[in-house]
Amino acid sequence: MTTFAEQFPIVFQALNVGFIQTLKLFFVTLIGALPLGLIISFGSMSSWAPFARIGRRLAAKNGPSKKSTFFVEFKPISLVVKLVIWVVRGTPLMLQLLIIYYFPGLVWKNPVWGSGESGRFFAASVAFIFNYACYFSEIYRGGIQGVPVGQTEAGQVLGMTGTQIFFKVKLLQMVKRIVPPMSNEIITLVKDTSLSRIIALQELIWAGNAFTKGSQGISGEIWPLFFTGFYYLVFSGVLTLLLGALERKLDYFRA
Amino acid sequence: MSVLRINNICKTFDKDTVVLRGIDFSMEKGETVAIIGSSGSGKTTLLRCLNFLTQPDKGQITVNDEVLFDAADPATQKEREIRKKRLHFGLVFQNFNLFPQYTALENVMLASELLAKEQEDYRHNKKEIHERLLEHAKQLLTDVGLKDKMGHYPHQLSGGQQQRVAIARALALQPDVLCFDEPTSALDPELTGEVLKVIKGLADQNMTMIIVTHEMAFARDVADRVIFMDGGVIVEQGPPQEVFGNPKHERTIQFLRGYNNVG
Amino acid sequence: MKKIIALLLAAMMVLSMAACSAEKEESAPVEESAPAAEAPAESAESDLDYVLGKGKLVVGITDFAPMDYKDENGEWIGFDADMARGFAESLGVEVEFVEIEWGNKILELDGKTIDCVWNGMTLTDEVKSAMECSNAYCNNAQVVIVPAAVADQYQTVEACKDLVFAAEEGSAGEAEVLALGYECTAVLAQSDALMEVASGTSDAAVIDSLMAAAMVGEGTGYEDLTYTVGLNSEEYGVGFRKGSELAQKLNEYFAAAYADGSMMAAAETYGVQAAVIAQ
Repeated sequence: MTTFAEQFPIVFQALNVGFIQTLKLFFVTLIGALPLGLIISFGSMSSWAPFARIGRRLAAKNGPSKKSTFFVEFKPISLVVKLVIWVVRGTPLMLQLLIIYYFPGLVWKNPVWGSGESGRFFAASVAFIFNYACYFSEIYRGGIQGVPVGQTEAGQVLGMTGTQIFFKVKLLQMVKRIVPPMSNEIITLVKDTSLSRIIALQELIWAGNAFTKGSQGISGEIWPLFFTGFYYLVFSGVLTLLLGALERKLDYFRA
Repeated sequence: MSVLRINNICKTFDKDTVVLRGIDFSMEKGETVAIIGSSGSGKTTLLRCLNFLTQPDKGQITVNDEVLFDAADPATQKEREIRKKRLHFGLVFQNFNLFPQYTALENVMLASELLAKEQEDYRHNKKEIHERLLEHAKQLLTDVGLKDKMGHYPHQLSGGQQQRVAIARALALQPDVLCFDEPTSALDPELTGEVLKVIKGLADQNMTMIIVTHEMAFARDVADRVIFMDGGVIVEQGPPQEVFGNPKHERTIQFLRGYNNVG
Repeated sequence: MKKIIALLLAAMMVLSMAACSAEKEESAPVEESAPAAEAPAESAESDLDYVLGKGKLVVGITDFAPMDYKDENGEWIGFDADMARGFAESLGVEVEFVEIEWGNKILELDGKTIDCVWNGMTLTDEVKSAMECSNAYCNNAQVVIVPAAVADQYQTVEACKDLVFAAEEGSAGEAEVLALGYECTAVLAQSDALMEVASGTSDAAVIDSLMAAAMVGEGTGYEDLTYTVGLNSEEYGVGFRKGSELAQKLNEYFAAAYADGSMMAAAETYGVQAAVIAQ
């Protein structure tokens, strides 16, 4: 049996390779999900009601009824987006990974992702970005709706456009509100990346677990798993510090 | 020529809550009008209609002979033009609604700087325009007595100071008519004085103002004309000494009786 | 009920939309599969043509010494890996080894993310019904693993009846234990079953004898474990997509490699020559 000193460089090397995959998935997810979440949150707050005029006319003619109320309140974009958010948040990410990766090959007979590491990575990225964007969108929605309506009105009476009000007035207040819940999600994401091993993306846990299973002459070892945990701890520790600094940076005003 | 004329403004909320039932009045340049009335009488909704935060169901709003809004004419209701129309009016809110992430000075400058950026010549005269707006904003804050608080954030200021910043902010865009929506209602009693003093100062400079207020003594002191509203209509209006000293309507008398400080 | 169906459809739509948009974003995997997509009647195309068309045989494996494992340079070696390399060469295509989750092997195969499972796979009824299998090429047995200290108590099948077993979910070993009516915990991998015994959470494990030879006993990671009784004898084969002509092609390759001695030479490299079945 090999000694710890002989095992360490092998394990260290393998865990670094896995950690790079984990980091890649983490950052790609953030870069994709942060803006996509904002778009989805706008969708879920969309007040576009194509039949509102018909409904109001009905109500004016025959008095308000169930039908007229339905027409007034029917907001298709918001409805569809909320349905999507419900499905994505209501089903396990692991299930979404399996479906997104295997669905094209099994149903369309066309394995669009390809079989190699990069294909698995792209499939995992899509699943993660979409899943996390839905979670982020709800946080954004809370942040946007949490900014008092008086802020919008103050901007309006000062002749500011909707875009100006959003970027110059509401955005920073919104950011301040969402940093704490966002931090929670981001720390969760660090650990959730390990779910991607279900489609055989060789991330950090896969790399560590290989040495309990048996790989490169090392098997039945538990210490690589502890070492794996150490990577996660350090990474989430660094993120906690960064996000805490951001929170403090926004402490200069009260919203 | 009257600076503001409104005809037959009506507003109904939620199908059956009638808030305004046909409001007519006009104002001369430099006039200060105080609107009094119990809560729910429609005063605040009237101000919101003037600032295009609420769209009336019926009626017209005319400023300097330009029809800004006519419920019967969709051409006057284009979303894109509302913005420009709002600039005829300023509004000071009951809860100040300062932007918390900006200093007092930045609050005052923000909107005028954004407007300046849209002008053609902005790029060439960036520095000059900025300097001019900065000077103007500083002057406004000095006028409301906050010369040494310009760099403070709203949460570092008292309620009275915040409201004074809000007044300076509304003045920065030089509106034709400045509206106040119960400007002292959210303040501790000992802080109302400083805000009322600023408004009084504006009245003395002949700023055209509509002030919705519960401060009867102040209304009497500052207003050229007092309007009493109840149930969505103007019940009585006239010079303050008449409305307060010799009210004609039963409803006005009853309302004023509630304020024993008004003799 | 209608509503539920509508919701499920909506969910599928969302997921497939996500897949579509990703397809557009990423060009590389699409190009890879382009020949398959262009074929007008895809299902009519033979699996052999499909593999030849893309010029690459994707072999699904796990890290499983001595059949498939990595050398110091990170290259996949092992008896199976070497044979797979030779087979791909005989077809005139490249070989690509892809590590998979063993439980998803049929999903990977049918989803065309791999072209064959070549990883010391026991030819069970389940495997044979789900895949097009080659002829058996290696003998194997399911053996009982116990701590070496107590091994002498468990030398017969009967003696093991009170033990709590761990075995890989869906494996031949699990089937044997369940057939005997002994208590059995299903785990994710054969190696996990070994961990169970090493950590004492199970009394015994059932794994492949070839794997046991490589992973248990003197000079391995599990020096304190040993194997005792064999529960059955069985055979390894290679699995392809159902109906694929590649299985027949591989049989021909095996026969040729056995005849010219290269198969036995490879087996000797990895110490499995005793288990190889004559082709």
